[in-house]
Amino acid sequence: MRDSFSEKMRLFLLNGIPLLSSLVLMFLFFMPLSSVQLNYFRPFVGLICVYYWTLKREDLFGFCSAFIIGFLTDVYSSSPLGVNILLMMGVIAATAWLAHYFQSSSFGVAWFIFALICLSYTLSKWILLMIYAGRFLPVWEAFLGCFSTIMFYPLITLINTKIQNRFLPQEYIDE
Amino acid sequence: MVRRGVFLIKTAELKVWARRVVVIALFLLAFFFILLNKVDSVAIKTANKAALEVSGPIMQVIEYPSRIIHRLYTYFYDISHIYIENRALRDENKQLMILQNKVRALEVENQLLTRLLNYVPPADASFISAKIIAESGDGFTHILLVYTGDEKVEKGQIVMGDESVIGRIDEVSGHYARVILVTDINSKIPVVVERTRARAILSGDNTIAPKLIFLRSSSDIQEGDVIVTSGVGGMFPAGLPIGFVNSVQNGEISVETIGDIARMEYVRIVDYGLSNSNEETPDFSENN
Repeated sequence: MRDSFSEKMRLFLLNGIPLLSSLVLMFLFFMPLSSVQLNYFRPFVGLICVYYWTLKREDLFGFCSAFIIGFLTDVYSSSPLGVNILLMMGVIAATAWLAHYFQSSSFGVAWFIFALICLSYTLSKWILLMIYAGRFLPVWEAFLGCFSTIMFYPLITLINTKIQNRFLPQEYIDE
Repeated sequence: MVRRGVFLIKTAELKVWARRVVVIALFLLAFFFILLNKVDSVAIKTANKAALEVSGPIMQVIEYPSRIIHRLYTYFYDISHIYIENRALRDENKQLMILQNKVRALEVENQLLTRLLNYVPPADASFISAKIIAESGDGFTHILLVYTGDEKVEKGQIVMGDESVIGRIDEVSGHYARVILVTDINSKIPVVVERTRARAILSGDNTIAPKLIFLRSSSDIQEGDVIVTSGVGGMFPAGLPIGFVNSVQNGEISVETIGDIARMEYVRIVDYGLSNSNEETPDFSENN
């Protein structure tokens, strides 16, 4: 029974839930906000998802998933293709390494580490894009998104936790 | 049994090595993409177009509920401001009536002079309306994603809001197009100050107020001066309004754009017959 096609499909879909839910959340946050000022506060949802799933289900969310999220972020944000891919994969590598030290820590610690990762991500993106464009990019406008991402972290984490508990419960991990 | 165990260990080792190779390959691919971007490769353009075409319909579905919420908000906002707006519109109407009489007189004068000079007017512009389905404005980019349907759109065409230029077409896939707003760091538009006819470049810098650069230091510029396209470079026709001078401080001239994307659901993509998909956008970045 377990080897049947439907069972394989079920497992395949379950394995794809971290990536699929991340993409849906990411697309949701690309909605038109109809305000130039509000746009600066648009959080980097892809980054939160990459961090969350790397921490919680590294086995289901690897470099390929980060590559896809980075690729779509580049396409939608019109950034030079490759910049977000590189940074997302950097984030996944950093998170996987750091996870050994704080995985069992409290939510506050995870949030603090995320804040550091988010700052590093924004700083690296800012520098990379400046090198690419060959000119200075405004600082405040670039970092407003970073602060908003840190503020949005609990909400996106809550959604991801609900998704994880609903579709990827403990029994599924143990299978 | 032992041989089977050894085989399993070797398979596990191979998997670890394969994973490492894939990770290194993905990192190299990302670097390769960045390098290819610099040389404006066809492969990058194709990948961009394909991704837009595939994810465009998803964005359309996601955009729909947000648009309904926005419409509801606008509806109640408009109702609450209806009295003030009505008074402002009455005042504006009075001024427009005066202007209308002047325009009629000028039109007659213009027709007479045109006949006198045998002037051949430029071809009329055609336009299509495109729905905004996504925005990606942040500190790094200011772009819109629009649904163009089966209409023919080309890179470089002008995108206008209700009354002014808001950007230009940057990338076109089958049914979708990406618009670079005038506030984006990659946007450079040749403009003139309407009052003095002083030429300059309106340069986006990812803030909400793009800057005027390459303006002669002797130029007389005041707050409130209207900025219009100059037509230099052949990408934009002359005389299209973009914004007005917002502040002049320490030689830095900020421009407030007229186009308000807050209330826009659709944009107009205008074809003046000037854009050419084979021509690249003039790059002024090296001059900065």
